[in-house]
Order: sequence, then structure tokens, then C-alpha cells
Amino acid sequence: MLEALGYFAIAWGDPWLIFLTAAGTLAGIYVGAIPGLSVTMATSILISFTFKWDVNEALALIAGVYFGGVYGGSRTAILLNIPGAPSAIATAIEGYPMAKRGEAGEAIGLTTVMSVFGGFIGILALALFAPLISDFAILFQSRDYLLLGVIGILLVGTLSGESFAKGAFAGALGVLIGMVGLDPMTAEGRFTFGTISLMGGIPYVAAMIGFFGVAEALVQLHTLNTPAIKQKIDKIIPKLSDVKQYFWGAMRASGIGTIIGALPGTGGDIAALLAYDDAKRSTKNPEIPFGQGNKEGLIAPEAANNAAIGGAHIPMLTLGIPGDAVTAVIIGALFIHGLKPGPLLIVETPHLFWFIVGSLTLANIFLLVFGLTGIRIFTKIVECPKAVLLPLIIVLSAVGTYAIQNNPIDIYWMLLFGVVGYFMKIYGFEVAPVILGVILGPMMDSNYRRAMISARQDVGNFLWAMVSNPISLVLTVALVLMLVSQTPLWPKLRRMRPTKKQ
Amino acid sequence: MQPAPSPRRPGELVFAAIVLVFAVCAFWQSYGISGFSGKTTAGVFPMLASGVMVLSGVVILISAARKPASSGGFWPQILPLPHLVLIGLVCAYTALMPLLGFLVSSALFLFCTFQFLWRKNPFLTLALTALVLGSVYVLFRQVFQVVLPEGTLLQGLF
Repeated sequence: MLEALGYFAIAWGDPWLIFLTAAGTLAGIYVGAIPGLSVTMATSILISFTFKWDVNEALALIAGVYFGGVYGGSRTAILLNIPGAPSAIATAIEGYPMAKRGEAGEAIGLTTVMSVFGGFIGILALALFAPLISDFAILFQSRDYLLLGVIGILLVGTLSGESFAKGAFAGALGVLIGMVGLDPMTAEGRFTFGTISLMGGIPYVAAMIGFFGVAEALVQLHTLNTPAIKQKIDKIIPKLSDVKQYFWGAMRASGIGTIIGALPGTGGDIAALLAYDDAKRSTKNPEIPFGQGNKEGLIAPEAANNAAIGGAHIPMLTLGIPGDAVTAVIIGALFIHGLKPGPLLIVETPHLFWFIVGSLTLANIFLLVFGLTGIRIFTKIVECPKAVLLPLIIVLSAVGTYAIQNNPIDIYWMLLFGVVGYFMKIYGFEVAPVILGVILGPMMDSNYRRAMISARQDVGNFLWAMVSNPISLVLTVALVLMLVSQTPLWPKLRRMRPTKKQ
Repeated sequence: MQPAPSPRRPGELVFAAIVLVFAVCAFWQSYGISGFSGKTTAGVFPMLASGVMVLSGVVILISAARKPASSGGFWPQILPLPHLVLIGLVCAYTALMPLLGFLVSSALFLFCTFQFLWRKNPFLTLALTALVLGSVYVLFRQVFQVVLPEGTLLQGLF
């Protein structure tokens, strides 16, 4: 316990690390707030700059950007009715009407305080449950990891995309991209077409930056001339009575956020929408109707999306399965630093786990400080026209892609993925499952083969193992339910039920 | 009843067809790795993944075909002029970077795109380019110590 506290305090004792966390949080708020820049984009570009750094320094910066970015989206949602990030869509529904009444300052103050509460709940859950889950995760076998990977990719695909088929396609495409190169078990070339440059595989940072940076910039080009509306800001520090009144609502939303964040593949975006929906249904006799600036509805999504950060770290640090798109990128960063996120991470490198908890906590505190200050400058900066922003995103993407291996070919990959990603986005495909597939694909491949070998290469044995062990059974049932609920069979089954009762 | 399906986006059917053709090619390539020779060979998992792509590609194509026909053209709605110009500029930028180096190619790229998208006085654009590029250079080259591409044509100059 004392040891854990010691590791926790590393992030707090070194002025340089404190500075990096603070700088990350501040930068994250702006990145999250500026429509067109996303946390995922920023972290994927950031890891390419920080891979030469010490792990702790890189993690401190990323923790700050993650927290600041998830929060930052709420500011533009309130002030400009433009959610800076998808996780702030619900915030805009309630926050912007408040801003129109001249209560923008109050709305920002309240969301900041509640976001910080939410963040703490998520971190607390991470600190308490991750070690327990990690003990439990040692019991997981290869087939369970395979199942978890499939569930994670499909969850992102189904919950955020237009259709299940598109989500499944995107996930499978990612897995395929992850397969390119020499097979780690037999050293056979896969999709190398006889070229040496493909033997090392497609660099996943190039794929990430292409899909999240360049493709997003091209999509944003459609809304180049959306005008910004100016706002007046006055008192920011929320009233104590307000904080007390909405505290339990925020706690409830944080609980939802943590759980949704902890599910593999689902992150702050979905957590925020679910928490908003829950607040809407559970608030009896709201003072102000929902959709017109209701405070319960304003704080629920914000508390939830910040709570989801801690939640999303749980599967990443205990199972090696990212909880959302940003943790998928962070897992990439951990791999680059030679770490292996998985059930042994907490056992073998407890200092790393507690350091992450420590820097997340620190970032959350900085969020409170920066969230309640500097709003005047902030409104100036977020009004930066997209015509200036988009070329900058592309230059940063190019620098980020090149930095990782100093190989110009990676930039061509980034460009290719950017253009492909643009068309995918336009035609209703989500790109997050692709990245999850790229990260999880090789892990799923080797686990599939291990599971098949331990089933003595027999498909019957392999399938039996999927249902004969309690952990595998639970995962298999979850996967089958997910698949069935997405096929035309499901509505038929549901229709059959009432007729049986009659 | 289900809500009326939204109309197809321009070019959606063609894209769905390309997606399916790509998936079939990927499956064929995956089959080529080790065929059906074993259950744990290098080609099995790529075949599973590309198999999922083929199946979902068929579903995507069918559901796209079922939607009512699109209104509006492909070029104005999906690839209007600004997109074509920007993609062209990015292509030129990435092609020139190994030759001219990061600084020169980025300066050209930023100036052209700012001028094209922002449409302000060229001197203002030039000042903005210098400011943006200067901050990027200082932040990444000096502070983060990132190696930036040096051109083969202008080696030693920048």
C-alpha cells in the first residue's frame, strides 16, 4: 500500500512532470474545444513526438491532454453551440440555451466542477478495481482474449456507426491492416507483395494520424464557413448551493460514465449520451424543461465523459484492451515504449500503474484550475478560422507521421489512409473500429492460434472450450447476443414473444 | 414500421461496390498466404478478417442498392472543388517533402492552402505562413527535438 502511494506520488514530486501534466491539460482544453481538433487526433500526433522521451514524461503529458481534451469540448458546446468533440453533443443541447440567456459563465463553472467530480470517480474506480480485475484477468485464456477483442471492435462498430455491417467491415479492415508484414509466429510474409518495405508492416501511427487527422480535416472542409457567435462571460465560480443541489446527479452520471468507459470499445461519447438520457428520465419535475438549458442535463454528460477516462483505463491496463479510441492510441504509445499492457502490467510494473493513476489525478486537479480561469482569452482562440486550422492540421500530421520512423514512405501511408478515411466517413463508416482493429488484430491472431493449438487443432474442441469455461461462456454469450441483436432474426424473435403469451 | 430509408448519398453505390471488390481481392490474397492447409497457419486469421469484410461488403452493397436513388451529383456534394484542390495540394506537399525538405515544402504548402481557403491579402497570408511555420519549427525541432525531413535537393541549406 505504502509502495503504491510512493509510486502515485512520483507524478507529484517532480516539477518537470507537474509542468508537463499542466501543459498537457491546458493544451488539451484548447484542442478539445476547437471544433475540428479532437483528443484522439492530438494524442495520436503526440505519441509520435514523445516516443523518445522517458515513459513517465510521455504519460504525464498524455494524461493531461486526455483530461483537458474531453472537458474542452464542453466549452465550445456551451459558448458556440458547436460541440468541440462528440462527447459534448448532449452538453450543447442544454448548455447553449443557458448561454443564450446570458448564463454561459455559470454553465461553464458548473460543468467544470462536475467534470472534475466525474474525473475523480473514474480515477477512484481505476485505483480500486483495476488491481482486482488484473488478478482475475490472469485466469483469462487465449480464447477469452480473442473473444474480448472481437467484442470490443464490434461494440465500437455498432454503437457509433451507421449500420452493423459497416462497423464490422471497418473493424475487419483494421485487423487486416494489422496483419500486413511478417507473421510473428512463422515469419511468413502476409500481404507484402514481395516488397521489403511492407515486411515491417504498415506503421499504425500513420494509420491513426491518417484516419483521425487528415480524413477529419477533409470532412471539416465541408463546413469551412460556419460563422462563430460571440459570447459575454462574467462570473464563473459556481454557487455552492448549486454544487450541492446537483452533486448526486453528477455522482450518478459518473457511475454510468465509469461503467460505460470500462466496457471495451465504448468511451466518453456513448457515456455522455447515456448519462444525459438517464438524467432526462430520472429527473422528476425539472425546474427548466430539458432542451432549454436544464442544469441536470448539462452536468450529466460532462460528469460522465470525464468519469469514462478512468473507466477506459481499466480494460487497457488490466487486459490490454483499449476502452475507447484514445486509449487505443495510448496502448500504441505503451507498446512503443516497450511496455506490454495486460494482466501482468500491474504485477510486473506496479510503478507504472500507480504513476498513471497519479498523473490522471494531477491532471484532474489542473483541470479545475484551468477550467475556472482564462475564459476570455479562450473565446478569442477558439474563433480561429478553419481556413487557418485545416492546413495546420495537415502539416502537424505530416510531422507526426514522419517523426516516428523518419521514413518518408509513412507520410504516403498517412495520405492514403486520410483519403480512404474521408470517403469512409462520408459514406457512414466509422473509423474508430479500424484503429481498434489495427491495434487488436495481431493480438487476436496470436491468441486465436494459441487457443486452436491448445484445442489440438480441432474445431469441435475449440468451440466446446468457448462454452465449457465460465469466463469464456460469459464472453461467448455476450458476443452471440450482440450478433443476434444486429441480425434480422432479432425483431422476429421479439415479435414472437408477445404472441406466445397470448 | 421502420422509418423511411434515407436516400443514397451520391456515389454510395459505387463506393459499396469498390468496398466489396476490395474485400474479395483481400480474401483472395489471404487465401494465397497458406490456403486451407491448416487451422493455425499464417493465412487463417487474414482469411477470417477478409471473410467478414466480404460478408459485410455484400450486406452494405445490398442495403445501399435498396435505398432510394441519390439526389445531387458526386462532384458537388462529395468531392467539390475545394476538396480536390486540397487533396492535390497535400499530394504535391508529400511528394515535394523528400526533395525540398520540411521547411520549404511546408512553407509552399501553407502559403498556397491559406491563400486558397482564407482568401486574404497575399502579404497577410505570407505573414501568417511565417508565423505558423516558425512556431511549428521552434516547438517541434527545438523543444521536442523531432527530426524533420531534409530535402535531397537543398541538402545542407535548410
